[in-house]
Amino acid sequence: MPSFPTTYFGELEYHPDSVFEFPFGIPGFDEHTRFLLVEQVQSHPLVFVQSLLSPELCFIAVPVLVVDPQYRLELNEEDLASLQLPGAAQPRVGEDVACLALVTVTENVDPTANLRSPLVLNLKKRVGLQIIHQDTRYSFRQPIQSQEELTQCSC
Amino acid sequence: MLVLRRRAGDSLLIGGEIEIEILEITPTRVKLGILAPDSVTILRKEVYLTREQNVTAAKKVDAGAVSWLTGKLAKH
Repeated sequence: MPSFPTTYFGELEYHPDSVFEFPFGIPGFDEHTRFLLVEQVQSHPLVFVQSLLSPELCFIAVPVLVVDPQYRLELNEEDLASLQLPGAAQPRVGEDVACLALVTVTENVDPTANLRSPLVLNLKKRVGLQIIHQDTRYSFRQPIQSQEELTQCSC
Repeated sequence: MLVLRRRAGDSLLIGGEIEIEILEITPTRVKLGILAPDSVTILRKEVYLTREQNVTAAKKVDAGAVSWLTGKLAKH
């Protein structure tokens, strides 16, 4: 089994089929085209998105539905084609695709999740893409609230 | 902000080297043609903002912050 040295997880063994190919990289990191998703019991529901090009490049991500249970993913034809998804219908989040928001943690500021441009991963074909949502109501920096705070909001 | 009204086929000049032509107008979109030197980077703003956010998100986060975040989300 191949392995890759990482800054955060040490030497990481992985199955070749588990690699996600990002044909276009992601904006700002265009040369990073292969990523692994790392999940740890102790950091559930966070997902770590580890580059297979740089040991130190690892994003923290969270499923969009954890941040916004009403989140609606809308992919245009171009996105669907890039993700090798059939053009007829929107994919089901959690079944056909995973949809992850990248998390920003800055000192003295509440952590935020990027709901405007989430990573969408075709779970079957193992292809990924950072899309940009058409709906401008989704924020690049959505504060992450705990369940208690969400409950208070909906009262 | 400078606001101008233009019709399809009209152009704007920015400085001496950048020209923006209004190619087509529909009820929901405008199609623009841009002529600029190779040295000028042209990006859709949302791509620029995504890139900025990605660069910030890629910064090193210490383990304490990760466990604090996990604790915050664990209540889900």
